Amino acid sequence: MKKEQAALVPFQGFGRLRRPEVRIDPSSAGAKRQLVDRIVGKLLFSVALFAIIAVFFIIVFLLRDGYQIVLETGPWHFLTGQDWNPAGQNPIFGVLPLIVGTLLVMALAMVIAVPLSIGTAVYIAEIAGPGTKAVVKPAVELLAGIPSVVYGFFGLILLTDWIRVAFDQPSGSSWLAGSILLAIMAIPTITSVAEDAIGSVPREFREGSLALGANHWQTIKNVIVPGALSGISAAIILGMGRAIGETMAVLMVTGNAAVIPDPILNVFSPVRTLTGTLGIEMGEVAFGSQHYHALFGVAVVLLIITLAVNSTARLIINRIQRTSRPTPPGWAGAASVPFVRVARAVRDFVRPQTRILHPITAQRFAFSLIALSVISVIAVLGVIIAEIVVNGAGAITWEFLTGSPSDLGRAGGIFPAIVGTLYLVGGALAVAFPLGIATAVYLIEYTADTPLTRGIRAAVDLLNGTPSIVFGLFGFAFLVLFLNFGVSMIAGQITLALMILPTIIRTTEESLRSIPHSLREGSYALGATKWQTIWRVVLPPALPGILTGAILSIGRAAGETAPIMFTAVVFSSRYLPSSLSEPVMALPYHLFILTTSVPGASAQKYGTALVLLLMVLSIYLIAILVRRRCHRAKVM
Amino acid sequence: MGESAILETKCLNLWYGQKHALIDISVRIPKNTVTALIGPSGCGKSTLLRCCNRMNDLIDSSRVTGEILFNGNDIHDPRADVYTIREKIGMVFQKPNPFPKSIYDNVAYGPRIHGVSEKKVLDRIVEDSLRGAALWDEVKDRLYEPALALSGGQQQRLCIARCLAVEPEVILMDEPCSALDPIATAKIEDLIIQIAREHTVVIVTHNMQQAARASEYTGFMYLGKLIEFDKTTRIFEDPAEELTENYITGRFG
Repeated sequence: MKKEQAALVPFQGFGRLRRPEVRIDPSSAGAKRQLVDRIVGKLLFSVALFAIIAVFFIIVFLLRDGYQIVLETGPWHFLTGQDWNPAGQNPIFGVLPLIVGTLLVMALAMVIAVPLSIGTAVYIAEIAGPGTKAVVKPAVELLAGIPSVVYGFFGLILLTDWIRVAFDQPSGSSWLAGSILLAIMAIPTITSVAEDAIGSVPREFREGSLALGANHWQTIKNVIVPGALSGISAAIILGMGRAIGETMAVLMVTGNAAVIPDPILNVFSPVRTLTGTLGIEMGEVAFGSQHYHALFGVAVVLLIITLAVNSTARLIINRIQRTSRPTPPGWAGAASVPFVRVARAVRDFVRPQTRILHPITAQRFAFSLIALSVISVIAVLGVIIAEIVVNGAGAITWEFLTGSPSDLGRAGGIFPAIVGTLYLVGGALAVAFPLGIATAVYLIEYTADTPLTRGIRAAVDLLNGTPSIVFGLFGFAFLVLFLNFGVSMIAGQITLALMILPTIIRTTEESLRSIPHSLREGSYALGATKWQTIWRVVLPPALPGILTGAILSIGRAAGETAPIMFTAVVFSSRYLPSSLSEPVMALPYHLFILTTSVPGASAQKYGTALVLLLMVLSIYLIAILVRRRCHRAKVM
Repeated sequence: MGESAILETKCLNLWYGQKHALIDISVRIPKNTVTALIGPSGCGKSTLLRCCNRMNDLIDSSRVTGEILFNGNDIHDPRADVYTIREKIGMVFQKPNPFPKSIYDNVAYGPRIHGVSEKKVLDRIVEDSLRGAALWDEVKDRLYEPALALSGGQQQRLCIARCLAVEPEVILMDEPCSALDPIATAKIEDLIIQIAREHTVVIVTHNMQQAARASEYTGFMYLGKLIEFDKTTRIFEDPAEELTENYITGRFG
């Protein structure tokens, strides 16, 4: 054979890897690369510790400034006091109305969001063809991409007005308005997690049901949704966490009166949430006063609530990942029991009716409801975008994009705000990107399951669930005051970096995990060191996934207001900052102040909203394209 | 055995956590031959193979006692450089695992990590190694295309070429044909015999015909023990142990 002859030639020694000293005795040249390997390992380890240190500092600084108020008023009075009146003659600090406000707004938001989200998730995972799926899924993701201050702007301009007129109320700023906005914001979270859960129900279940003659809807109702129930519960709880932690949108539309609605179900009553309180009052409080400490106390309460909610969701998700049993036992099982019960009760309630109906009619009825929920979700997206584009397009002129603001933003342009936002986001990414990747690499490649890695993971989870306003507070207490950075660009960049760090770590971890173990083995078997393997074999194919995560977090950072509100921004600045220690303008904050504090200036408001929206959405669009490209590459 | 042993284990024991996976294995692998390890699933053949270049280091719960000598040096010596060991004792895996890079970069990967950077030299190594793995004629016009576009059998030969490129003395093969069709399997078997002129090959296989066709020596393992090790002809025609005979004749397995 020709090939065999060819094969005979070459093995006379290739003559270029000759390294006579390479033997397995101690004199081998391997010492140097082992040293490099060990140093890199140590370096990654110390970076990974950063997450723990950051969490530690956040908790310490919140407690440091928050514990005094509890000492002064007593924990019971602080938590159950019915009055929050920090500005009165005798200031009173009772957070009960704030807690109640937070929970009420969240609960009604869930009532609205859950059916819509689950309908949409079922539609995407089960019913939609590839064509419609390619429209609906990105639409839901775009909904997640709209900055909360844009939602708030939309709520203040359209929604509250609509409520006022439609329900004949003196004011539309209300619990209902807050809940509707939060529902819209929670829909993407719930939909995407629920869709994953539904998609991971094994095919065989589906086929088993269909093979018995069940129709599509019967299969969805009796097999698929029950099979995904724990995942759907987790989705709902994560949505709750998202809703509780939201600041700007809620603050702008709920009216912010610190009262418990009377009667308790009066959805038109104004309410005030924990986050809203921080957002409104933190800017005006005197440093070190009782009020200042009370606000940190509020932040601690907020952190504890979100922590409880998010860790419940995480427990359920971890259970699902570990055991694929339908009803997980233990803690998480207990947590999901109420949901299972409610679901069963609903099913039992619905069943007699559906039995009367012919299965085909039932399916038609159910599918129309699902279609209705999908249509409403898309309609909401359409309305928001259309409103802003139609009204904002006229405001966008060359002068608006390149000029400096004047007359409190009523005239002139927003150039310093655009540049300021870019600076803030760029700086945040420059800090968080290397830290995040190094931490993820350490977690996935270097360690087994030790208490330390579990600690790092828990810290990342905690950072991930922390409301953005809490980051803002921490940045203010630690960076601005304690480290004496002042309100400055660098303080904002670091605060934003902390906020996006968990996203980058998560997405990097996920894409490292998707690289098959056999590739690493192949590299090790050739004598590569750990670092060589990571750098040359593991990271390159993981890169698209890592970049997607980074881009998504850029989008998030660009749209956030709460973390930079007290740390980095000024409302008006005619000049660009010349150093890191100067404050900057930023688009989201500019829009916030224009909307809430500057009457008139309608064109500027819409224009700013449109520019912000375009900026963030184009960032998300890039992420979606990158992801699609690497999916296609993987198929090859 | 007259030939000199390149790999030798002495009273090798290995545990995965509580599980005693290898029990008192002592074997001498002669130089420049093909040695086959056979035995039922879970008998420890792959584990033994993965011990020889310390790939088991990657599994946290594994613990080893006894010695593995490579050219007379203990590979578990704390001063030994595990990367040099793996460079000298290469491995080909059950499922082809080319890197998601071009064909060229796959083969050049090993030399590059060991410090070869000159383009001309790399070109030479790539060509020689691909020829050595009987793949050159099939891929010489598309060296820069992704390796994942190759067929399964070609991918496995590429993995062999990748292994040859670092000039190992020993090549360990862990069921290299189990994921391939009969034609690709036949090509790999021919290749193994070729390679053994310059290298020592140890191959784990489920396929007894393969062991009989391709190897000079065969070891039969059962429940973590090496039951018998001898010339392949001897093992298949006149085994000393009844257990071996039962396995060979298909009475269990």
